[in-house]
Amino acid sequence: MEYLASAGMLIGIYIILAASYNLIIGYGGLNTIAHPIFFALGAYTAALLGIGTTLPSVVCVLAGIGVAVVASVALAVTTLRIEGDYLLIASLGFQLGLLQLVNNFEFTGGPAGLSNIPVTITGPGRGWLYLLICAVLAVVVVWLIWRAMAGPFGRAVRAMRDDELACAALGRSLFTMKIVIFAFGCGAAGLAGGLYAYYFQYISPEQFNVAQSATILTMVVLGGIGTTWGPLVGAFVLVALPQAITFMQLPTSLVGPLQGIIFTVLVILFLFLRPYGLVGKREAGVAH
Amino acid sequence: MGEILRIENLCKQFGGIVVADDISLTLDAGEIVGLIGPNGAGKTSLFNLISGVVQPDSGRIFLQGRPLEGPLHRRARAGVVRTWQHMRLFRSMTVIENMLVATREYPGESMLRSMFATASVRRAEAEARARAMDLLARMGLTQTADNIVVDLPFGQQKLIGLARALMNDGRCLLLDEPMAGVEGSNYETMQRIVRDEASAGRAVCVVEHNVSFIKDLCTHAVFMAQGKILQRGSVDELTRSRELTELYFGTVDASVDA
Ligand SMILES: Nc1ncnc2c1ncn2[C@@H]1O[C@H](COP(=O)(O)OP(=O)(O)O)[C@@H](O)[C@H]1O
Ligand SMILES: [Mg+2]
Repeated sequence: MEYLASAGMLIGIYIILAASYNLIIGYGGLNTIAHPIFFALGAYTAALLGIGTTLPSVVCVLAGIGVAVVASVALAVTTLRIEGDYLLIASLGFQLGLLQLVNNFEFTGGPAGLSNIPVTITGPGRGWLYLLICAVLAVVVVWLIWRAMAGPFGRAVRAMRDDELACAALGRSLFTMKIVIFAFGCGAAGLAGGLYAYYFQYISPEQFNVAQSATILTMVVLGGIGTTWGPLVGAFVLVALPQAITFMQLPTSLVGPLQGIIFTVLVILFLFLRPYGLVGKREAGVAH
Repeated sequence: MGEILRIENLCKQFGGIVVADDISLTLDAGEIVGLIGPNGAGKTSLFNLISGVVQPDSGRIFLQGRPLEGPLHRRARAGVVRTWQHMRLFRSMTVIENMLVATREYPGESMLRSMFATASVRRAEAEARARAMDLLARMGLTQTADNIVVDLPFGQQKLIGLARALMNDGRCLLLDEPMAGVEGSNYETMQRIVRDEASAGRAVCVVEHNVSFIKDLCTHAVFMAQGKILQRGSVDELTRSRELTELYFGTVDASVDA
């Protein structure tokens, strides 16, 4: 049963990651693939504070969110002023560079990571309690993003995606909108990191590398980029599917390649059959 | 009448192309000024300079006495709004959504306020919606409010371009070829609305190739070629000038460069 709770936790965490990443690339149109580094900042900040201080875990998680937000704003402010895809390059550099540091610093545990993250909830119901907290937070994140996009802010963001120049010439500050979107999305990734660290009690740099970027991107694309439910569906499918394959108790030599093949085939199939994702539909106006 | 916009000695060059050569111009409240001249004269570029799409090499612009500078969105909020030769409507959005984005003070500026849809956001939204519906009613386009904007006939899209700009209740309105491709009842509507907006105290500047539209509407006009204002005066004076008529139809001779 603990196994189901931990699969549920992963789904919840990936829903937060995919929904917030979708906010950034799907709605905001901001090109970046460095989402896992903000996930890492949340996880490492929470873990290090949890290990090194006596602060309550909630405070450690909040601090993780704070660090992710500050880092994202610093990145966005310096790169979004310049025309072109500098955010993509800078955030990727930030991801690779920071992971390199984490790999080499002693206090971050190097490549082995941190495995002594303190226990916060004990007892037989631990897994389910965590799952409940994680599910509530995932619902809150998805709901907040949905609220923001359904309201006047979302309307201005859509206008920005349709025509940046016209939108700015009507008085909307594209710079502010982009920064806010990026900060919120990265803060949510930081939250996911804190949850991950406290539940699994083990983090290591390889969990936040470019392969993780690809996983989150695939979830968003598979589910339907720029939709409310797409990232949820994508996260669910991409976490549940490998778990199901593991469940079939195939020889381990088969599981790895099989998962790889299934993902690749899925992505390729989707690009042809459902380019707008599982829940996405062709938007009105696009065809003109 | 009160002066709304004043342009002083504006200069702009793109590489070797001079798009604004020492342009000075004022727009007064209630006035409709026609900006005419051949293609490539720098008319759109002048709008780009005023609205902040491009920065001038030198010269200054004042809106109601205050320097008009900084990025696009700040100028729009100060009260300068423009339309585009190629409309630039928000293609994926409905007519009313296109218009709602354009209010000067926007209730959705903050993501947090928008998330929690506070009473003040809802009130501002309701007010903007009412204003948008009024504008559409004035244009006889009430029933198009919820259509995707690019599904409308071309002439109606042009009107929506104007309607969207008018959601910004600023004092200075710049219209870039509002009549190109507009005929029949839409033409009449465009003319009526522009006239009404000027009467309401806006300063309007219209770039237009349709001379009869300029004649019907404008108090006076400015003739531009190669980034220079060559002549100002009543529309009649300008259209009577043989030299300008020749220029307009492309027979530019060397004397213009002098
Ligand atoms: N951003 C730009 N970069 C380079 N050249 C430009 C730019 N904008 C306009 N031009 C040039 O300036 C000249 C004036 O263009 P424009 O202002 O659009 O003329 P008009 O609206 O009077 O037809 C044209 O030769 C055009 O190619
Ligand atoms: Mg032009």
